[in-house]
Amino acid sequence: MSRTARRLRPACERAKFAPEREENVKYILMMSGSRAGVTGYHAWSKQDVDAHMAVLQRINKELSDSGEFVATQPLSPIEEAKLVRGEKNGVPVTDGIFPESKEFLLGYWIVDVATPERAYAVAARISAAPGPGGVPTNMPIEVRRLVDRAGER
Amino acid sequence: MKYILMMNASKGDWEGFAKWSKEDLQCNAAFMRNFAKELKESGVFVAAEGLGWPNEALLVRAGKDRDPVTDGVFPESKEFLAGYWIIDVENREQACRIAARASAAPGPGGVPGNIPIEVRQVLGGFADLGL
Repeated sequence: MSRTARRLRPACERAKFAPEREENVKYILMMSGSRAGVTGYHAWSKQDVDAHMAVLQRINKELSDSGEFVATQPLSPIEEAKLVRGEKNGVPVTDGIFPESKEFLLGYWIVDVATPERAYAVAARISAAPGPGGVPTNMPIEVRRLVDRAGER
Repeated sequence: MKYILMMNASKGDWEGFAKWSKEDLQCNAAFMRNFAKELKESGVFVAAEGLGWPNEALLVRAGKDRDPVTDGVFPESKEFLAGYWIIDVENREQACRIAARASAAPGPGGVPGNIPIEVRQVLGGFADLGL
């Protein structure tokens, strides 16, 4: 669907967002944060949160318009996170204890782009979303390629 | 309710995985394929993805001019996401039971890997956060 959407766009407009190429690659852009980082975020004013979310929603819309959007997903509060292992009999053993340094996934975007550079550019826009007082958060965004299951293990 | 089951691994774990025998890798892949098939057949499957190797991972920040600044230096302790499943289930207990099955995927010699699977609820959208 994303490929069709891109084909339907005028060539000049297309070039601005994503140069056409046969083999697009999917990347996941991950926003993570420690417990301390999340606590800091909860202290933001409503105005700051609204401004931040407005920018993220605009980025989502632009990615949809350019045909590069695949998925985005926020995760629930980190207090709910559990670690699960299978016991010998297959019964789940759950544990909610994480090291203080643990970086929790807060949310992610999956984009279908022509070049890794394009994925980095989108990640930089997310990183530049405004924080308190409108100052860019400059949060690091982890960029990883999704494996094409037909080919690689 | 949707849950994400995340399989994380340190760089050392990935290096170990790269040394598995072909038979062990095939056995693990067969388990994973069968697991995905069962999730689909039982109607709980939403999505699943595998991620590229950690040596390709980059951290990106916006520079002063908002251009991307990339960096591939991670702390040694960093856990890299290896892959994930998103499932749509009745409750957290069901999500944990499925996570335990993923944890029991066979490792070298067919012995269950017992790797920890992080279980988190995924939200429908920013609206669920009251935004």
